[in-house]
Amino acid sequence: MMQELIIDIKDISYTFPDGYPGIKDICLSIYKGEFILLAGKNGSGKTTFLRHLNGLLLPDSGHIFVNGHNVSKHLIHTRKTVGMVFQDADTQIVGDTVFDEVAFGLENLKFKRGQINKKVTQALEDLGLFHLKDKNPSTLSGGEKRKLAIAGILVMEPQVIVFDEPFSNLDYPGTIQVLSTIIDLNQAGHTIIMATHDVETVIYEASRIIIMENGFIKKDGKPADMIQYLEPCGVREPCSSKFGLGIQPWLL
Amino acid sequence: MAFVTPFTYRQGESILHRLDVRCKFFMICIVSMSMFSAHLPAGLSYFLILLFFFKKAGINILATLSSIKYFLVLLFFVFLARALTREGDIIFSFYGISITGQGLNEGFLVALRFFLVMLTGLVFASTTKPSLIKSAVQWFLKPVPFVPEKRVAVMISLALSFMPVILKQAKEISDAQKARCGNLEKNPAKKIIRLVLPLLKKTFLSADHLVLAMESRCYNDDRTDPEYTPSGNEAWFLAGSLVISLGLIFL
Repeated sequence: MMQELIIDIKDISYTFPDGYPGIKDICLSIYKGEFILLAGKNGSGKTTFLRHLNGLLLPDSGHIFVNGHNVSKHLIHTRKTVGMVFQDADTQIVGDTVFDEVAFGLENLKFKRGQINKKVTQALEDLGLFHLKDKNPSTLSGGEKRKLAIAGILVMEPQVIVFDEPFSNLDYPGTIQVLSTIIDLNQAGHTIIMATHDVETVIYEASRIIIMENGFIKKDGKPADMIQYLEPCGVREPCSSKFGLGIQPWLL
Repeated sequence: MAFVTPFTYRQGESILHRLDVRCKFFMICIVSMSMFSAHLPAGLSYFLILLFFFKKAGINILATLSSIKYFLVLLFFVFLARALTREGDIIFSFYGISITGQGLNEGFLVALRFFLVMLTGLVFASTTKPSLIKSAVQWFLKPVPFVPEKRVAVMISLALSFMPVILKQAKEISDAQKARCGNLEKNPAKKIIRLVLPLLKKTFLSADHLVLAMESRCYNDDRTDPEYTPSGNEAWFLAGSLVISLGLIFL
């Protein structure tokens, strides 16, 4: 079966205004329905790369095409197609109730109030957050906040969802909640791209691993083929693989 | 864990919670302005009305007073300053410092007015979502020329939402310094600098992250207009607040 190309990255490079190198010479094709793990140690360029996919950063050279549209020229289309969940949910949350937070993106897109109410209710029900709709987001648990951030993106009906270290600062139940949600989203047809420096939790679900180092893509392939390259690039190899059991699911 | 201030919105279904935010906004404005000409009997009567609404809104008045204790200390100094500086019939004198009857009366009245304005604001903030306050600001600013009302409204909403985050960060920084015996530093200027510099850095970083998060969700000025939901009691409340304002001015 021929895979449908959704993001096409052609030789992009980016250097920060202070001269600090960001990413270099990245060429990549991302297909519909993939679950991509972007692995690498801190400072390897994962977050900088992810921010290019949503048009938050624009490359100094090269081009990114989302569904055939150049990101630099079609920012709104890009941001509707590629949703981004940030590492720190606290600073991502804008609304003062769970409902308002999820409605924020739709209000920006000038949806009618009736449509907003319908879509937000649906997104909250899908993620099991509807009973919290009138709560102040700052009173939610870490896992709930992360799910709320996902709901805020999901309501805009993106095809691709980008996660930047989604399990950081989460306890065990919170990690399970978020991981289950991400797996469900992928099974529902969303393309998932996730940056992480700890692949243990999610490697079993991934269809592809991209390893980054010093702003370059060092390796790109199927998880089973990439395991041997993880530790040399500063990413811990999963326990099951270290003990010779191959890649095992973290979520039982 | 959430950092809850006395001004944090509390979820509820009271009559004040359900009142249209524009009506509440108008009421708080006229009552607060009238307060500055209020005399003692009117002020005390208004205090009783406020107590009634505190009870209705499910706010514990004693817990509230305890959480605004520093403001009460400030009011005490205001009272003291008036009592010591106002000329009149001396009722107590000590080493050339005199307290006059007129000073005591005036000091108490000024402190009471500030206290009542504070409590009125507190009832308003506790029963109104920041997003609704934003909507009201947007509605009132709409007829004002050259004012980008939607942008101003979002700024107010963000400032209100971020206040607890900033307070939480300040507490974390202060605790981290205490853990390293930072509380042994006696120089208040140094103490403030040690707190303010990292707090500013954190606040600017959080603001940067927020901007990115808003941008990634297509934030712009031309957004869906807010929805207003009148409860049907607005006319009564408006009439009531006009009567209270007249009472505060003339009684």
